[in-house]
Amino acid sequence: MSVPNDDNTSHSQLSSQFFGDLLDSIIVDVASECHRIARLGLDCNLEEGEEEIRLSAQARVRVADPSNSSEVNSKYVVDIFGQTHPAVANEIFECMNCRRSIVAGRFAPHLEKCMGKGRKARLKATRSSSAAQNRYSRGSPISTYSPYSHSTSVNQLSNGAPGVSGEEYAEGAFEDP
Amino acid sequence: MFGRNPTYTNPKPCKHLANYKLNHGLNGYNSIQKSFKITPHGRTAMNGDQSKIPRCNFCSGYQGRLYFCLICSSVSCCCSPDSNHALLHSQTENGHEIAVDMERAELFCCVCCDQVYDPDFDEAVMSKQIMEMPRNNNGVDVRKEKSNKRRKLISDSNNSKELFLRMGRGSKSCFPWGLRGLNNLGNTCFMNSVLQALLHAPPLRNYFLSNQHNREICRKISSDRLCLPCDFGAIFSAIFSGNQTPYSPARLLYSWWQHSANLASYEQQDAHEFFISMLDRIHEKEEQARPSNKDDGDCHCIAHKVFSGLLRSDVTCITCGFTSTTCDPCVDLSLDLGPSNGSSTVVADKSRKPSKNTGVSTLVGCLDLFTRPERLGSDQKLYCPHCRERRDSLKQMSIRRLPLVLCLHIKRFEHSPIRKMSRKIDWHLQFPFSLDMAPYLSSSIVRNRFGNRIFAFEGDGSDMSTEFELFAVVTHSGKLESGHYVTYLRLRNQWYKCDDAWITEVSEQTVRASQGYMMYYIQKMPFYKASEELNHLPISPRGDPFLSTAECC
Repeated sequence: MSVPNDDNTSHSQLSSQFFGDLLDSIIVDVASECHRIARLGLDCNLEEGEEEIRLSAQARVRVADPSNSSEVNSKYVVDIFGQTHPAVANEIFECMNCRRSIVAGRFAPHLEKCMGKGRKARLKATRSSSAAQNRYSRGSPISTYSPYSHSTSVNQLSNGAPGVSGEEYAEGAFEDP
Repeated sequence: MFGRNPTYTNPKPCKHLANYKLNHGLNGYNSIQKSFKITPHGRTAMNGDQSKIPRCNFCSGYQGRLYFCLICSSVSCCCSPDSNHALLHSQTENGHEIAVDMERAELFCCVCCDQVYDPDFDEAVMSKQIMEMPRNNNGVDVRKEKSNKRRKLISDSNNSKELFLRMGRGSKSCFPWGLRGLNNLGNTCFMNSVLQALLHAPPLRNYFLSNQHNREICRKISSDRLCLPCDFGAIFSAIFSGNQTPYSPARLLYSWWQHSANLASYEQQDAHEFFISMLDRIHEKEEQARPSNKDDGDCHCIAHKVFSGLLRSDVTCITCGFTSTTCDPCVDLSLDLGPSNGSSTVVADKSRKPSKNTGVSTLVGCLDLFTRPERLGSDQKLYCPHCRERRDSLKQMSIRRLPLVLCLHIKRFEHSPIRKMSRKIDWHLQFPFSLDMAPYLSSSIVRNRFGNRIFAFEGDGSDMSTEFELFAVVTHSGKLESGHYVTYLRLRNQWYKCDDAWITEVSEQTVRASQGYMMYYIQKMPFYKASEELNHLPISPRGDPFLSTAECC
């Protein structure tokens, strides 16, 4: 089939033909690639993967259904050993820095002040002491692979205090930087 | 000619191909090798005589698909089932049944009308590719028989055995070992959640429980008396003691703050950052105590032995195909929740419709995204030594070596520098309980880059398992500024929710429906199933706490 020299042949006809040829070529290209992948068994995990997806979709539906929910406020439930626990951990132990007796649930804020750490304390810290300490933080060549582990402090997901007591939140969560 | 490869099967040839091989062997392949034309993108085509367009012998047409007969070198076309000159050729010439699709350099059986496969043909294609590639093989390393060095952990055979037996006998609880709540010390659920996952990573657990980081000795030799691994080890003992009242990891918090001044504060913290920081500290301490000999380039500290894998990065010049390859160790994979849709493999477009949030909705999708070739921006043109100037390039990541325990971290935060704000990506990510990492290995990725040819690529034939099993999920709920971390653990085939001090049983479905932030997978090996009880673990004759891991290079 030779290309007609006739000037009356519209450009759009020719373009359609070329486009069609290109498209056919691409389709066979993809088909050939998929054929090879399927024949060589490179896609053998497909079915397993689909099963997992199906199970997850099912799970989401079940969990979303309010009649199925057994997860009330988890702070008031009984654990597997039959125990209940207060919202703020009430075990008391000795602070390893100052030797005072501290309630577990308030240990972190205490330790922060006690060790002179924390935002407010750090702002007051001298340059030299923080520089010395920074040498020990996350600087070893083996461990920092920056593309793969985010290290900017902005991109953090934060945790909250365990629930009921408003005081903890006020102290930790909403302070201005 | 190629190594044992578990990731693909060698398809059986059709009788026409078998006949052809019997009668002609490799003659046809070798004689057309010179006509193979390689593109920088790893594709091969047959160009034959470059001065004219190949035309069909029967109709002189050049449209449709062109097939090059391996016996008589004639070209036939196939435009449609009605106009199939390739078939005609096989019918008119006796025995001329096998041809090569000129555009893709694939074997085609004219009688079966189907694409067929022969490792010898693929080898001929790959040899040409390797010969033509600019200088450095473009990342296609043909590995000969390399002795797989086996990494063994220092075993403490008698102690481990005794420890396991002792613990087994003393148990009154019908619950699996090591289930114990952790008290929240004030915004420390980020720490508790990661601790629960680490406490139940079998290689780590066995190492610390068998006192391989010997606390008595450490106390004597340690000059500054601060040892994070010691405090970390103490937690293992406490958690596996059988005591059911929640434990307060206060000493660890103190230790950690001593070592990580920049993270020491009572404020919102990130679990992933804590995880990385802990591994760093453990590594530092062990390096201090026992500097590793750099003969094999691997770190021998427990943190890296358990979590460290090797990531490969290939940067390819778009113009000439020159590829520069680097490998870097990593202790986890941080995956983006990109804008694309679900499982983006070539084969499966049975993928579901994109969710309203139009993002990747599966973990496998994230891994696909991670290993997808990415075109570097024109502002990032790299210098190509072959072209001797700056060129546009493609970058592609793959996994050169898998770790024993694989931590997959989902980057659920979005930071917009323009709007100067960060937000959390809340949508649900499906993650499998059983994960095969084979498609993300360097050997698979490189193979795919060169058209999935049957050929021994770098890393093939390694006897390391690529199958992983989920044993812990750290989830986050709530907002970026204030939220809560909870860990789900799988022990003896039952899932438990570890919410600070509260340990409860949950269904598999609860876990599947949760918002995964960090997923911990362990290599499926006969010795370690998440479902097995600690004291039922078979101890190998040499007393190694766990099976040794083979390296690929």
